[in-house]
Amino acid sequence: MKECYLGVDIGSISTKGVIIDNNNKIITSAYIWTEGNPVEAVRKLLNILKDKLPKQYQVKGIGTTGSARKLIGLMLKACIVKNEITAHAIGTLTFYPNVRTILEIGGQDSKIILIKNGIITNYAMNTLCAAGTGSFLSSQAKRLGIKVEDFGDYALKSKNPVKIAARCTVFAESDLVHKSQVGYAKEDIIAGLCKSVVLNYLNNVGKGKKIVGPIIFQGGVSKNKGVVKYFKEILKEDIIVDENSHLMGAIGIAVLARRNKTGHTYSLELKNVKFITKAFECHRCPNTCELLKIYRNDELVDSWGSKCGKY
Amino acid sequence: MIKIAFPHMGDYHIPANYLLSHIFPNTIVIKAPKITSKTIELGTKHSPEFVCTPFKYTLGTMIECLDEGANILIQMGGGCRYGYYAELQEKILKDLDYNCKVINLVTEGQTNIKRINNLLKQIDPKYSKIKALYYGFITLKMVKYMDKIDDYIRENIGFELTVGSFESLKEEMLITFSHVKSYKELYRAYKRYLKKFHNIKVHKPDNRLKIGIIGELYTIMEPFSNYYLEKELAKHHIEIKRFTNVHYLLFEKAHKYKKYKKYSKEYFTYNMGADASDNIARSKYLCEHNYDGIIHIKSSFCTPEIGAMPIINKIASFYHKPVLFFSFDSATSETGINTRLEAFYDMLEMRKDK
Amino acid sequence: MRVGIPRSLFYYYYGDIWKNFFDSLNISYIESPKTNQEIIDRGIKMANDEMCLSLKNYLGHIDYLKDKCDYILVPRISNFKNSNQTCTNFWAAYDIVKNLFPVNILHYNIDLEKGQTLKKGLYKIGKELNKNHHEIYKAYKYAITREKKRIKKNHIINLNKLKVNKTKILIVGHPYNLYDEMIGKDIIKYLIKNNIEVIYSDKFDSKITNPLSKKLSKDLYFKYSKDNLGSIIYCKNNIDGVIFISAFPCAPDSLANELAMRKLQIPHLNLVIDDSTSFTGLETRLESFLDMLGGSLND
Repeated sequence: MKECYLGVDIGSISTKGVIIDNNNKIITSAYIWTEGNPVEAVRKLLNILKDKLPKQYQVKGIGTTGSARKLIGLMLKACIVKNEITAHAIGTLTFYPNVRTILEIGGQDSKIILIKNGIITNYAMNTLCAAGTGSFLSSQAKRLGIKVEDFGDYALKSKNPVKIAARCTVFAESDLVHKSQVGYAKEDIIAGLCKSVVLNYLNNVGKGKKIVGPIIFQGGVSKNKGVVKYFKEILKEDIIVDENSHLMGAIGIAVLARRNKTGHTYSLELKNVKFITKAFECHRCPNTCELLKIYRNDELVDSWGSKCGKY
Repeated sequence: MIKIAFPHMGDYHIPANYLLSHIFPNTIVIKAPKITSKTIELGTKHSPEFVCTPFKYTLGTMIECLDEGANILIQMGGGCRYGYYAELQEKILKDLDYNCKVINLVTEGQTNIKRINNLLKQIDPKYSKIKALYYGFITLKMVKYMDKIDDYIRENIGFELTVGSFESLKEEMLITFSHVKSYKELYRAYKRYLKKFHNIKVHKPDNRLKIGIIGELYTIMEPFSNYYLEKELAKHHIEIKRFTNVHYLLFEKAHKYKKYKKYSKEYFTYNMGADASDNIARSKYLCEHNYDGIIHIKSSFCTPEIGAMPIINKIASFYHKPVLFFSFDSATSETGINTRLEAFYDMLEMRKDK
Repeated sequence: MRVGIPRSLFYYYYGDIWKNFFDSLNISYIESPKTNQEIIDRGIKMANDEMCLSLKNYLGHIDYLKDKCDYILVPRISNFKNSNQTCTNFWAAYDIVKNLFPVNILHYNIDLEKGQTLKKGLYKIGKELNKNHHEIYKAYKYAITREKKRIKKNHIINLNKLKVNKTKILIVGHPYNLYDEMIGKDIIKYLIKNNIEVIYSDKFDSKITNPLSKKLSKDLYFKYSKDNLGSIIYCKNNIDGVIFISAFPCAPDSLANELAMRKLQIPHLNLVIDDSTSFTGLETRLESFLDMLGGSLND
C-alpha cells in the first residue's frame, strides 16, 4: 500500500480537495461549490475523491484549511487545522521554492505574503472592506451586464482605462454608474475597474511592503487577464499565474498533513458518520453570543462562539 | 442623592471605585455593568460617525450607568481628542433626555491639582481634602502594584502548567485589594500576592516566542475592545511585553519621553500626540531586544497612531521584524482577527525554526 | 538654491508670511501647483490608508516637490497657548515627512507653551539660509506687517458680505480644505454660481472669533476649531445657513462640528469629503439645502 494525504480547503464560495503522495505529487483533486453548507459540500467532495483515488493508496493524514476549517477538522478528525494564509504559502512554496511574493485576491479577502529563503517573513490582509475583491468585481459585472469571466478580454481591448475610485464599494459603485451614464465605452470602464483593483490592492494591502520577484498571483481574481496585465504594468515585474492556483491552499494543508502524520489511517467513507451542528443564542448576559454546538454521532465534540468561556 | 459612575477600562474600575467610595462616603458609586456587545452597539448608535472607538465604548457604558440611576459621570482622558470627549458626551446624553453631568478630570493631557479640587467640590462641596489625598495615595499605589503584577502575568501566563492559575489568583488579589483599609495593608497584600504569583509553576522553553504589543492606549488597556488579544496570544504560549498602563501614563510618561526621544532620535523629533512617539521608540526597542514580532493595535481613526504607523513600518523593515497592524472598530469581525493572528504566529514559528 | 513650499495644510495659514519673508530675503522658492488628481494620487500612494484626506494631499504635494528644490519647508505647529492646540497631525507632519521622504527639510516649531514662537522660527530659518540678523529682522517685520494687513482686509471683506441683500451662507471649515481644488473648491464654486453670498469662517480675525467659541463650547481646545465655532457665533444673526465642510476623517471636526450642530438653531449642512467622493453626490445635497433655505419648497 502506498501512503497519501488529503488536504481540504473549505472557503465561503468553493470547497477544494487534493490528495498528494509522499513526493508532494498531486494524485487527484476535486473542486465544488460550498453552497452555504460546508458539511454537505465536504461529504460530496469526499465521495468524488474516493472514486477517483486509485486502490493502492491509503490516506495517512488529513488537513483542513479555509473559513470552515475547524468544523470540518472536527468532522474529519483532521491531524492538522491551519488558517488559509499559512496553507497557501506552504502550497505555493512546494511548487515554486524561489517565490518571493504571493499576491492573492479572493472572493472576500485579499492578502499579500512576503517570502524569503522559503519562509514567510511578512504578510498583510485587507483591513477595511471588500472593495476590490472578487465579490466586488462580480457584482459590478452584473451591473454592466457582462459575465465576470469575460472581464479580462474586455479589459485587454481598452486603450484608455477610465479612472474609478475604488477605495470603497459604495463610492465605486456610484462612480461607475456615473461614468457609464456619461457615456464612456464599456471596455474602458472595465479596464478602469481592473486597474483600480490593482491600485487599491497596492495602496491598501501592499502598503509599505517591498514587492520583489518572482511574484505569484493567486485567488479567483487571478483568472482575470485585465488585472494581471495592470499588475505587470504597475509593478514592472513578471507575474506568474499557476493554473492550479485555486488548489494551492488545499495542497499546502495536505503537505502539512504529511508532515504531521500520526500513523493513523483514515477512511474517506463518511456514510456512517452522523455530523450535526446546532445553533442557539445564549441569553445569560447582554452579549447574546451565538453558540454553535457540534455533535459527531450524537456525541457533543465541541461548542463555539462563547465570549465568556462558559461553554 | 448623588450617584457617581465611570466608564470601564480593564481592571481599573477597582481602584477607581475604591477611591470614589472613600472620598465621597455620602454618595453611591455605581459599578458600571461589564462591557458587552450591547454596550458598543448603544455607543455607536449615538456617536458621531467618524469618531474614534473609545468614544463609542465609553458613551455606551455611560448610557448603561444612567439607566441604573447614575447622575454624575467621570471621564478621564487627554493628549489627543480624547480630552474633549466629555463635553460632547454630556451634550449627547442631554439630547437623549438624561439628566447628568460629565466631569473630565484630565483635559488637554494635563493633570492639575487645583482643577481637580474644583471638580471634586462640584460633586460634594464638603469633601475632605486630607482624606482625598490619603486615599488618592493608596489608590495610586494600588494601580502601581496591579500594573506590576500584570507585567509579570503577561510574561508568564502563556506557560502556566495548570491552566487558569494566574487568572484565578489575580481575581482573588483584586478582591483583597478592594477591601484594604490602609496603605500598610495594601503593601502587605501586594507582597504576599507577588510571592504567590512567583510560586505558580511555569514552563518557559528557551525558544519561546516573544511579542510586543504597542498602540493606542484605550484599545490596549480595555481587553473587550481588542477582542481579548492578550488572552489569545497566551493560549499559543507566547510571552507578551506591553508598555502602556495607567501607572506609565501618570508617572513615567513625562520622563520616559526624554529617554525615548534620545533613543530614537533618527525617527522622531517631536511629540506626535498621545502615545505615538512612545510607540515609535518602543518598536525600535522591541526590534533591538530580540522580540520576534510586534503587534500594533488601535481603534479606527486614532489620528496620532495613524501618523506613527508608517514610521513603525519603516523601523520594522529596517530590522527585518514583522509587524501586524490591527485597527479595531465596532464592526470588526472576530473571525478575521483570529485568522490574521493565527497566520502571524505560524509565520513567527517558521521564522524561528529556520 | 531654492525652497519648496507645498501648497497644502500650513500653506493656507502661513503661505503669505513665508513668501513675503523669502521675497524680502531674496531667496527663490517654488510652490507646488494647485492640487490636481495626480497630486492626490501621489499622496494616497505615500500615505497611510486611514490618514485624513488633507494629510494625504499634503504628502502628495511634498512628493511633487521632492526633486524640484533644495529644501522643502515643513513646519511643526503644536499650540498657541491658552487652550489653543492644533490637530495632532500638525504635530506629527514634520516627523512623518522626514521619515517618508529623503529630502532636506527646512523647518521650525511653533509651541507657545514652550516659548517657541513664529518669530523664533523664522529667525532659525533665516540663519539656516545664511542670512544675517539684520536681514532677517527686516524680512520678518515686512512679512508680519503684510500679514496683519491681510487679516484686517479679509475681516472687513467678510463683514461687508454680511450686509449684502442675498442668501448668505457661512462656510465652516479649515482653509486647507475650503480652498483646495480637489476638496472644497467645487462646493464653493457651486454656491457662487447659484447666487449665494459665501462667507468664510477662516477669514474673520481669529482674535475676535476665538474667544467667542466659549459660547458654544467651554472645553474645546483645538485652535482652528475654536476659530470656526466662534465665527458661527459672531455672525449667526446675519446669515441664512451654515455649511460644514471637513475632510474624512478629521479628528477635531468629528467632535467640534458635532457639538456645534447639536447646539445650533440655524439650518446647516454637513459635508465630509473623501478621496472618492464624487461631486454628483454632493450636488444633490447642496441643491436640496439651497431649496430649503430659499423657501421655494414651502410656497
